[in-house]
Amino acid sequence: MSDTDARLHLHHASDHAPGDEPVSGHEIAEGLLGYIVGLFLAALITAVAFFLVGTSLVWQPSIPVALLVLAVAQMGVHLVFFLHITTGPDNYNNVLALAFGVLIVGLIIVGSMWIMTNMNHNMMPMNMMHM
Amino acid sequence: MLGKLTWADIPLDQPIPLIAGVGAFSIVGLVVIYVLLKGWGPYLWREWITSVDHKHIGVMYVFLAAVMLLRGFVDAIMMRSQQALAFQAPGYLPPDHYDQIFAAHGTLMIFFVAMAFVIGLINIVVPLQLGVRDVAFPTLNSVSFWLTATGALLINISLVVGEFSHVGWLPFPPLSELRYSPGVGMDYYLWSLQISGVGTLLTGVNFVTTILKLHAPGMTYMRMPVFCWTAFASMLLIVAAFPVLTATLAMLLLDRYLGFHFFTNEAGGNVMMFNNLIWIWGHPEVYILVLPAFGVFSEVFSTYSGKPLFGYRSMVAATMVICILSFTVWLHHFFTMGAGADVNAVFGILSMIIAVPTGVKVFNWMFTMYGGRVRYASPMYWGIGFIVTIIIAGMTGVLLAVPPADFLLHNSLFLVAHFHNVIIGAILFGMFAGYTYWFPKAFGFRLDERLGKAAFWCWFVGFYLAFMPLYVVGLMGMTRRMQHYDNPAWYPWLLVAAAGAAVILVGIGFQIAQLVVSIRNREELRDTTGDPWDGRALEWSTSSPPPPFNFAVLPHVEGTDAYWLMKQRARERGAPEPEPAYQDIELPRNSATGFVCAFFAAILGFSLIWQIWWLAALAFVGAFATFVVFAWRDRTEYRIPAAEVARIDRENRAARRLALAQMEPAE
Repeated sequence: MSDTDARLHLHHASDHAPGDEPVSGHEIAEGLLGYIVGLFLAALITAVAFFLVGTSLVWQPSIPVALLVLAVAQMGVHLVFFLHITTGPDNYNNVLALAFGVLIVGLIIVGSMWIMTNMNHNMMPMNMMHM
Repeated sequence: MLGKLTWADIPLDQPIPLIAGVGAFSIVGLVVIYVLLKGWGPYLWREWITSVDHKHIGVMYVFLAAVMLLRGFVDAIMMRSQQALAFQAPGYLPPDHYDQIFAAHGTLMIFFVAMAFVIGLINIVVPLQLGVRDVAFPTLNSVSFWLTATGALLINISLVVGEFSHVGWLPFPPLSELRYSPGVGMDYYLWSLQISGVGTLLTGVNFVTTILKLHAPGMTYMRMPVFCWTAFASMLLIVAAFPVLTATLAMLLLDRYLGFHFFTNEAGGNVMMFNNLIWIWGHPEVYILVLPAFGVFSEVFSTYSGKPLFGYRSMVAATMVICILSFTVWLHHFFTMGAGADVNAVFGILSMIIAVPTGVKVFNWMFTMYGGRVRYASPMYWGIGFIVTIIIAGMTGVLLAVPPADFLLHNSLFLVAHFHNVIIGAILFGMFAGYTYWFPKAFGFRLDERLGKAAFWCWFVGFYLAFMPLYVVGLMGMTRRMQHYDNPAWYPWLLVAAAGAAVILVGIGFQIAQLVVSIRNREELRDTTGDPWDGRALEWSTSSPPPPFNFAVLPHVEGTDAYWLMKQRARERGAPEPEPAYQDIELPRNSATGFVCAFFAAILGFSLIWQIWWLAALAFVGAFATFVVFAWRDRTEYRIPAAEVARIDRENRAARRLALAQMEPAE
């Protein structure tokens, strides 16, 4: 634990608060390219999703799965190109924050679905027939 | 033109809220006139209202919390006296008004007392403990505070214009839907929480960034004081949980304003989903409040025992485990809603598991005192009172986590006693301990100890008198929120509970007296060195009150209890650290952004409540324009020259050198 801590703080000089990073003209151009690539990929994935829904070219039952895959890919594109989540050492906090967020969202969604489907368990059978 | 607002909405037929409201607002008005006549207006504007200094913002939060505590406590006294009088009688509060009182009491106490107090202390202390000059986003911090104050203002306006929610501190549908609550009371509740919720969320973002990114050199994560860790966990929970609250209340607003059917009985709405969503926020909220209180006690026990905190690493681990686990137990608030045994059992067991890390903490605090040279100052009184009280709260909590027991106790006064046991016994006691402990840091003089201890005893005894009887009548079957009752077995217990509330009232009287007496005797109580309690963390290494820049030179941290180590070295050397090379310091300029934003937010909230659409649009444009003006500002910082920094720091160093000379050298 202390090893990671030491590593986290060794690069303190290059560690900046969000929005506080020093920028040079070169970096702006570089960043812009990343955003353009990201925008292109995101638009492409969106277009493919809309295309899939309307087409009869692919096996119909596979479409929901394909949409799911495209949705996950879309999230990936956003994380990498717009939120700049990478595996680099200076991204430790961001990756941890993302993991925390995913964990909480997962807990909320899975928990809610489980609770809500289980909801009428203790109700009278008559009500269950009506539901 | 004015939406639903008419003269009929001023409750002239209800004397109690009207007189209270007019009285309160005329007192506020008189204070404002007095301040302006005295010529303090510019000072207030410059040093407080537009301040982006975390210490000043923190003090304003605590002030807001204290005022709202008085307001919420008046509600509490009214409820206790109503139940003492309403045995086979109507009492003096009509049901319609009684409903508003318990709704306002809960809403104020949670959102504007506990939250404001916790965030206030975190604001004052965390940047100092981390050894930095301010939070990550100082102007955002000011916006957060003023949005919170806006929420409080809207709730208090509801006293004189219209009405407040009748539904309780959480607006459960279908009762809170338009069909059953057609009045504006529900909308006052919803919009004030939406506005203050934005402020709270921004605070969360601000402090997560601050604690992760801003540190004095050498302040690694595992050297941060435990209060910083608990603040971090609390702020992570805010960032994760408050969006759920905002989304849930937004859905309810859509139901009420635009005819949606998220939580209605008809058209496919699901009332149960509201329960589920609100408690996904509601349970972490408990830990948002209680974890910083645990942090305060960790600081207090270690300082007044003259020992490092026992089990620092286990304390950090327990805090972070609670942070995650708090998101896995929410169903225990609605075991009786109809879920099957599987679901109830899993959440019951998870609820019991979360008691384990809390137990770890209790043992750590006790072992911190064990073998230490304990000084019984008043923060320690709150601390020891807290340990006794939180154990009872934990026990009854574990009992309520057993689903079959919960079926018996759900919505009874046993539950009310349990959560007051947590909120008063842990959170409020923690905040009072922190208030006494850090008061000299914020204002430069200590609080009167004798009156502080008297206040503690009144709160402690009053709490037990007021809430132990509620456990009893809860077990006897008395449900919460009863305006009157006929059961003679409950009556004596409710009389005792009312007496307990009166004892707490005396305690609050002592606290006000303590503040007045301390201000009058401030020269005798002056803290010259900035380290009145022989403290251990970095906030004590600077003067009291700290200069605007906190630290003349950022301290160099070499371990946990950073300031203790510095003092240790100074004692060995027989002299304080050599004078550093002073440099110019740049600080963020004051900004009226927060105040102006909140001004527009208040108008926005009010016009949305009364459905004055043109005014709402104007206010929204105004708030957005404020943001644009802020974003286009040219000058963001001002500079304090090195000579001025040196002058301020040398004064403090001289006082410390004097104190060191009076101390015996280290053996």
